[in-house]
Amino acid sequence: MNPIEHLRLAWRSIEGHKLRSALTTLGVVIGIAAVIAFVTLGASLQVGIVGDISPDDQRNLYGWAADPDTEGGPLAGAQPVFSQSDLETVADLESVDAAYGYATIQSQAISDGDERVAQGDGVIAAGPSYVREGNLEEGRQFEMGEREAVINPATAGQFEENVSVGDELEITFLGGQGATVDVVGITDTSEGLSPFEGFESSPRIYVPTDPYYAEQAAGMGLGDVGPDGGDGDGGGDGDDEVRFLAAVVEAESTAEEDIDDARDAAVASLESDESDASEFLGDDLAVTFQTSTELLQQLQDVLDLLQNFIVGIAAISLVVGSIGIANIMLVSVTERTREIGIMKAVGAQNRDVLGLFLTESIILGVIGAILGTAVGLAAGYLGAWYVDLPLVYPLEYVALAIAVGILVGVASGLYPAWRAARTDPIDALRHE
Amino acid sequence: MATGTDAETDREAETGTAVRLENVRKTYRLAEPVHALDGVSLSVPRGSYTAIMGPSGSGKSTLMNLVGCLDTPTEGTVIVDGNDVTTLSGRERTRLRGTEVGFVFQTFNLMPRLTALENVALPQLFQGVSGDERRDRARELLARVGLADREDHLPSELSGGQRQRVALARALVNDPALVLADEPSGNLDTETEADVLDLFAEFHDAGTTLIVVTHERHVAERAERIVHLLDGRIERIEQLEGVGVEGGPGVDAEYESGTVPESKPRNGPTEGDDGE
Repeated sequence: MNPIEHLRLAWRSIEGHKLRSALTTLGVVIGIAAVIAFVTLGASLQVGIVGDISPDDQRNLYGWAADPDTEGGPLAGAQPVFSQSDLETVADLESVDAAYGYATIQSQAISDGDERVAQGDGVIAAGPSYVREGNLEEGRQFEMGEREAVINPATAGQFEENVSVGDELEITFLGGQGATVDVVGITDTSEGLSPFEGFESSPRIYVPTDPYYAEQAAGMGLGDVGPDGGDGDGGGDGDDEVRFLAAVVEAESTAEEDIDDARDAAVASLESDESDASEFLGDDLAVTFQTSTELLQQLQDVLDLLQNFIVGIAAISLVVGSIGIANIMLVSVTERTREIGIMKAVGAQNRDVLGLFLTESIILGVIGAILGTAVGLAAGYLGAWYVDLPLVYPLEYVALAIAVGILVGVASGLYPAWRAARTDPIDALRHE
Repeated sequence: MATGTDAETDREAETGTAVRLENVRKTYRLAEPVHALDGVSLSVPRGSYTAIMGPSGSGKSTLMNLVGCLDTPTEGTVIVDGNDVTTLSGRERTRLRGTEVGFVFQTFNLMPRLTALENVALPQLFQGVSGDERRDRARELLARVGLADREDHLPSELSGGQRQRVALARALVNDPALVLADEPSGNLDTETEADVLDLFAEFHDAGTTLIVVTHERHVAERAERIVHLLDGRIERIEQLEGVGVEGGPGVDAEYESGTVPESKPRNGPTEGDDGE
């Protein structure tokens, strides 16, 4: 008896009990749908976050000095140690394309002419290449040493009349001092450009560290420089050097070995005795450089853990679904005892009967898996669309779902089918 | 052995005996041993028409199960189409049953969700016969039982007599060495009973070996001989006259119970094609 005949006969008996088969399948549908929905959502979430790292960002290394035992995200436990000359030394290294300090300057407001909007924490001082060419909607990068700025669309849109390239803005800093900037570029996104900023959308102004951060640090005694508002009071002696809490190093390319070279060279240079930073560095302060991807990995690990947990719970309903199939197959075997007797009387071998019942439960499992996948994908996409994440097609999970469907069918059908195969035809034919 | 010619060769080799039972005992171990069959020897020639009669508990069903290769004896041998059933494995026994034994039951026992055609073709499905071949063969047999126009009907859409015809067609589909009928007309009214029995006679005339278990005298009387069972033994074998026996070594029965076989002229009310 070939498999096609098995399928045909098995399908007949499923057709004969439409409602029962549908209800049985429902358990598997819900189980698989739940798993697929959460996996889809999770995949979309990850792409939503990881996808924000533009190709250029892939070669950036974000560094800070902190106690090596400190756990946490970017800048956790960071202390301001990098001097401008340290960073210039790093920038001159062979394997490094660019290096510059990074700091958030505490501000109070921004004015465009007479119009004034409140904005704290949104002024970011960095090197010119921090705003990558690819991120510029119009205009150009700011230049070091100039009173220039690149703003993002959220900042531009804050004013009644959109700010455009060539306009002049006035920033009021936390201490009350003001500074004017020429807008030379506008970015294409309001989301953060690096993990230092975070990836959420908010109004931001990008300015060169020189002169803005240098002035701030000198004027305020190196006030708050971190995005976390960490109170770096380290520059209190404020005599000569401005120290940066964070630094960005750009590797030659996105290749892993180039990134590693740049990282090693930068760390070696900063930790060497010649650097200004070395006076602070020691056992309880070490320099760390990580790429966005590495920084995100932590977040991703948490997401993965959460997803596995939810998928695990969803998988329980799959188990319940399997038990449902097994139960209904057992009922079916009892109910069709006579049919089994007939088949055996006319020459069906045990394995024919086994095959028939197994095929039936596999069909139920696979139908459940296919429907469940469809429902799960729909639910996942709906969820992703609702929270505004990119849609991802986890195709390998669809294949996996079908495989799970077959597995569920086999697992739940094996015992009932074995019971059917073992049925004594004499008793079965007498069965009413 | 699914094809007719193979089966025929085998039949010739087995000196024209479809089934032979030698001193068969079947004991069920219940609270105390029950001897369902207690030393039965019987030979059923090819092409013969045998009726088995007896009261409840006489061992009719047990005998049927043994001859039908559904069961094995506790003692003695059962030889079906030249194969010693007692020495066969379960799988071989199933094969033998599938190819050499056709069953007709009182309750028809058709598969409820299969059409008449599919029911007839079912035994060949398990023998691995291809779909086209099965359909052709099943159509041919449905035509022979007069149901050519009912092939797509489900059993529930057929009358009792029609169902039993389908069952008979199914029993014959593998061209078996013998057809076993268990109270084939038990669920039929008088008229359809006569039709079905006429059909049996027709196939008997065409060379099919028939064994019919019944408790109704008029059904048994359409056979060539009646084997009377009582308490697990053959009480007597009754030869019926006026029945056309083509060739074969005639009736060759051994029995233990020592009753003299009683011959009796056949007085069947239905003439039909029996006497020809």
